[in-house]
Amino acid sequence: MTAPTQPRAPHWWQVRARSEVPGARGKFTWVYLWGAPLRAMHWVAAVCLIALAGTGLYIGDPYFSTGGEASQHYLMGRMRFLHFVAAAIIVMTGIVRVYWLFVGNKFERWPALFPITGKNLRHVVAMVRSYARMTPEQQPHFVGHNPLAQWAYTAVYVAMAIMVLTGFALYGQSNPGGMIYVLFNWVNAAVGGLQNARLLHHVFMWFFFIFVPVHIYLAVRSDYIERGGIVSSILTGGRFIPSDESFEDYEATRAVTSEWPAAGHPEQRP
Amino acid sequence: MYRPSAVPWSPGAPLGQHLEERGVSRRDFLTFCTEMCAVLGVAQTMIPRVAQALQDIRRPSVIWLQLQECTGCVESVLRTAEPTIGDLVLDVVSLDYNHTLMAGAGHAVEQALQDAMNANKGKYVLVVTGSVPLSEGGIYTMIGGRTAETILREAAAGAAAVVAVGACAHFGSVQSARPNPTGAVGVRDIVKDKPVLVVAGCPPIGDVVTASLVHYLTFGRLPEADSEGRPLFAYGKRIHDQCPRRAHFDAGQYVEVFDDEAARKGWCLYQVGCKGPATFSPCPIFQWNTRTSWPIGAGHPCIGCTERNFWDTMSPFYGRLPGVSGFGIEQKVDAIGAGLAAGALAGIAVHATATVYHQIKRRKATGELPEEASHG
Repeated sequence: MTAPTQPRAPHWWQVRARSEVPGARGKFTWVYLWGAPLRAMHWVAAVCLIALAGTGLYIGDPYFSTGGEASQHYLMGRMRFLHFVAAAIIVMTGIVRVYWLFVGNKFERWPALFPITGKNLRHVVAMVRSYARMTPEQQPHFVGHNPLAQWAYTAVYVAMAIMVLTGFALYGQSNPGGMIYVLFNWVNAAVGGLQNARLLHHVFMWFFFIFVPVHIYLAVRSDYIERGGIVSSILTGGRFIPSDESFEDYEATRAVTSEWPAAGHPEQRP
Repeated sequence: MYRPSAVPWSPGAPLGQHLEERGVSRRDFLTFCTEMCAVLGVAQTMIPRVAQALQDIRRPSVIWLQLQECTGCVESVLRTAEPTIGDLVLDVVSLDYNHTLMAGAGHAVEQALQDAMNANKGKYVLVVTGSVPLSEGGIYTMIGGRTAETILREAAAGAAAVVAVGACAHFGSVQSARPNPTGAVGVRDIVKDKPVLVVAGCPPIGDVVTASLVHYLTFGRLPEADSEGRPLFAYGKRIHDQCPRRAHFDAGQYVEVFDDEAARKGWCLYQVGCKGPATFSPCPIFQWNTRTSWPIGAGHPCIGCTERNFWDTMSPFYGRLPGVSGFGIEQKVDAIGAGLAAGALAGIAVHATATVYHQIKRRKATGELPEEASHG
């Protein structure tokens, strides 16, 4: 039997409710950003990317061989099959995404992909500066993607388009005169031959290998600093924003609401 | 099989009669016609028409220009250890003007060329091997004091059909590889006003030339060609899709280095740089030297010699992907990519550490975290 110990200050890793801590701001508002189709596309594409990279690495450089008779194995055949199936699925998500560029909300529509105004470009510089100087409190506030992140995602779409074009250009070669060959063989001529198409297809794989870890890191980091649940927004479609905070891409007056969760899209609110 | 004969193909005599004089039996002749039909992919019912067309032809005038080249194409196309009827056909049609084969020399043969072109204006078949250098007025190839470009333009103007044989006539081959000091181009870059059939390869397969000529003689037009001008009956499929080693590719069985166990077993040469997946050619079917062998059959990867600019785009010949030059050093694309990816991961690690450090400091300042964090 031990004597009851003195209550003591919590350790630095121990959880405290936000309301208990000094400096916590009052009301948080849940805003809906990403429509269900966009979220579905994100995860379907993520799974496809993993499958494409894994099988693509094997197709580009078969890292192990099978033994015995050729008739007993179909390893490369299966790798290529998986690669082509995943490619077909990701192309379908791309087609839905293009449709969604025209019917999505303002964060999803095509003008959002190109933050080219002078103000937005200054925000890109501000974002880079705040990342470099470790000054998150100085960075401009955005409900949706900040312009730097948006340019990165736009680059992903461009890289994906290059992968799809060169991929189909290579795929069509097995059936000259077929539909895929007729539709995509111009790509080979445009890049100076099949081998160059193959090289491009390979180089842009490295783009995704660099993009994915940076993407995951910055999303988790943003959640860690802002505590707005930004990571879960790609699952639930929305995130929390402090009601008294103003945003570059969102009108604060319309954001202040006691409703929880907020109904409908931000634009549709009174 | 057949020996060169002392009996020349006399002008005016049909080919059937000439072949008979050289000891070709009717059965052998029809066998040859059947082979040609198979090569061209035309129906069996066409065999009599092909036979009729071939045996009735009078000796056509063929002018064979050899420009900036190594004569390897002529050697490959015209010389075999055991000539077939196809070789004989080539042999007999290509006698008017050919540097390697003709006995004469000097002004006399240049005059003979002019005479042949004038006598058969609009009727002769022009076969070209070798590229055309354009730099510095085309001085890099001069024949009889005239540039290759001048000779080609003149000969092409009066030709009924133009056949570009070999990689040099196709796009310029090795002399047009970077930096292309002589400004070498292919026949199709000069002759634009009439269709040019390209028999690609370095060197090409003689059977393709024979079959193309048979097609021309039978139907009066050149065979269907792809965007490069290569006849589709021969260049319509990739080597990869006709390869006898394809089963090993699909199974995942690859030669890693020459002379390993896999190489002795005849596995796929993909890993040692085979360009079969990027090369359209009939090599696996036609093969070389009277169907004796071909590169992949002999254990060497395809270098893609039937494709445009293959010296630049298909090299390194023993690697899967083209090399990447930059920063003054030759780097493999994977080395650059892996370096950048590792740099990104390292950057993330450093940035994440700094972020956590600053955030803890900030939260201590706001009182969210106790000032003196206890670690015990």
